[in-house]
Amino acid sequence: MKRKSTAIVAALAAVALGAAACGSDTDGGSSAGGGSNGNYKLAFVQGVAGDAFYITMECGIKEEAAKEGATVTVQGAQKFDPTLQTPVLQSVIAAKPDAILIAPTDVSAMQQPIAQAKAQGIKIVLVDTTLNDPSVAVSAISSDNSAGGKAAFEAIQKLAPNGGKVLGVGVQPGISTTDARDKGFADAAKADSKFTYLGVQYSQNDPAKAASIVSAALQKDPDIVGIFASNLFSAQGSATGIRQAGKQGQVNVVGFDAGPEQIKALQDGTVQALIAQQPGDIGVQGVQQAIKALKGESNEANIQTGSTIITKDTIDSPEGKAAAYKASC
Amino acid sequence: MTTTRTAPPASTEDAPTSRLSRISRLQALQILILLVVTVAVFTALRPETFLTGFNIRGIVQNTAIYAVLGVGMTFVIITGGIDLSVGSVLVFSGVVADKIMVWYGGQGWGTVLVGLVAALASGLAWGLVNGFLVAKAKVPPLVVTLGSLSAALGFAQIITKGLDLRDAPQALVNDIGFGNIVGQVPTIAVVSAVVVIFGIVLLHRTRFGLYTYAIGSNAEAGRRAGVKVERHLIKVYAFAGLLAGFAGLLNLGFFQSTTIGGQSNTPLNVIAGVAIGGTSLFGGIGSVFGTVIGLFIPIVLQNGFIQVGVQPFWQQVVVGAVLVAVVYIDQLRRASALRGTSPRLPFLSRAGGAGSASRKGSA
Repeated sequence: MKRKSTAIVAALAAVALGAAACGSDTDGGSSAGGGSNGNYKLAFVQGVAGDAFYITMECGIKEEAAKEGATVTVQGAQKFDPTLQTPVLQSVIAAKPDAILIAPTDVSAMQQPIAQAKAQGIKIVLVDTTLNDPSVAVSAISSDNSAGGKAAFEAIQKLAPNGGKVLGVGVQPGISTTDARDKGFADAAKADSKFTYLGVQYSQNDPAKAASIVSAALQKDPDIVGIFASNLFSAQGSATGIRQAGKQGQVNVVGFDAGPEQIKALQDGTVQALIAQQPGDIGVQGVQQAIKALKGESNEANIQTGSTIITKDTIDSPEGKAAAYKASC
Repeated sequence: MTTTRTAPPASTEDAPTSRLSRISRLQALQILILLVVTVAVFTALRPETFLTGFNIRGIVQNTAIYAVLGVGMTFVIITGGIDLSVGSVLVFSGVVADKIMVWYGGQGWGTVLVGLVAALASGLAWGLVNGFLVAKAKVPPLVVTLGSLSAALGFAQIITKGLDLRDAPQALVNDIGFGNIVGQVPTIAVVSAVVVIFGIVLLHRTRFGLYTYAIGSNAEAGRRAGVKVERHLIKVYAFAGLLAGFAGLLNLGFFQSTTIGGQSNTPLNVIAGVAIGGTSLFGGIGSVFGTVIGLFIPIVLQNGFIQVGVQPFWQQVVVGAVLVAVVYIDQLRRASALRGTSPRLPFLSRAGGAGSASRKGSA
């Protein structure tokens, strides 16, 4: 009786091994530590796996790393969540890369895990998001999210020149990037006397929750003219909420990011404008800073990249196409 | 943590029960073999990085909070129940502890102690609510704990307005969350191991454990033998709640955040660990030791896959396959144990039809 169940256990192990073998070619198969000149081993820990923003960043990272002769492994958790990112990061650290580029999913929760990486002698570059104390990293590269939030308000100003009430739909507090976007938007909205800022509501990255927030907000304030949804799911849910309330055409939704779904939403008229960041550029600069640190050269502690407003009119222009994110490299 | 051994079964009076409990120990042992094989495979693939002190430390840290929840869940599942609320109770307790620690002030051990009492009390309160509704109001545990899953998270969000709290005192974060007790042995893992050993002793060496098995095997028989079934059920759910509250404090120390949005899959992950570890979802059979091993397997797989460079989504697929396969093997073994014959895989057996017919009895 033991033999058969042991056989099944062995078969399971074989399945695991098979899966492991299938994927092992993605990292170039080099497990030796990087030398002092070139052949560095870099690791990129995404905020969430399978997201166009991080895929575009990954493309930038891989392109730049190839120029430098460095290898890159890419890992990410299935949700944008520190409880899931911590074990992923820990496993990446254990694989002993020379440098880690990481998008921390929480300003405080990821502080200690990232400090552990530094303690192992690994160079850290923060890409996109940051930490309460970014000094653990040699460099922090992010979009100027505050300017992005301001750009979102400018887009609403153009779409609704007569002014009115505007609402923010955020992800959840504590994510440095979306917090800065929301604040940039709020400050710009408060500075314009034609507009009334209704505050920001949090969707917890759940389109259904964003939809119920927006439909409830439209019950309370039927004359909302603009909604700034600071990420994809918030934008999708906001559009659903507007449809539920029958307010299509009256309420302008400005989304953030320009992945394939967002571009499609813009084409469909679900959202009226998009604020595109430059994730590819963040990735390229991230690799440059990591390599500099590994070579012992001095780093720029803070680098900010710009953003582009895409509307239906500019979507097919060369700039609009260049600003759109990639679904694969 | 892995060096602890399961105690012998508490009840050995009647033959089928003793055979079943022996089998449940065997199950835990086989899962241990699966874990060892998995570790060996990854060690062979990544000899320089997998079996290092740093990596083992990380794996153990990442399992610690699940293990605390797993102890309570094992007891509940052995009674034939289920507790879906552990993730939400964890968050709720973390929130209450955080609020009370901020009110009390300070960054030292006094504050942590106050937080501990608050977290345990909140967890216990939810556990008592669950237990009372299951035992006295006779609402099915799936429904009761689905309700408290939603309500506890709701209350946590009401208290915090949906914003994660991050005010864990330094002693909690630096000494418990990320500290080492000696050398490179993480405190959080030692704390968790103490809970696990307590759970093993409670389940296998005490009357409390014996009653837990008795209710799961046959509640009516237990009642006739003089077990106060309702009161005991309340105690079991209260125990699970208490541990979820404790886990809430550990979680606050480890993540420095109440992780309101991050615990939705926690109960399912813990239940999967319990099932992989050989505890029967029908009740009456199971071990805490098996649960701990069952919780290690997904975490080791994820860790290994990341180091080898496998796409992260594969981990879910493999864990799912392991879960179903392990429970299937377990079913086969249990069915044959009840028949008193050695198990045969139905597709290999000449008497396959007869075998599968008699297997129904085991459910």
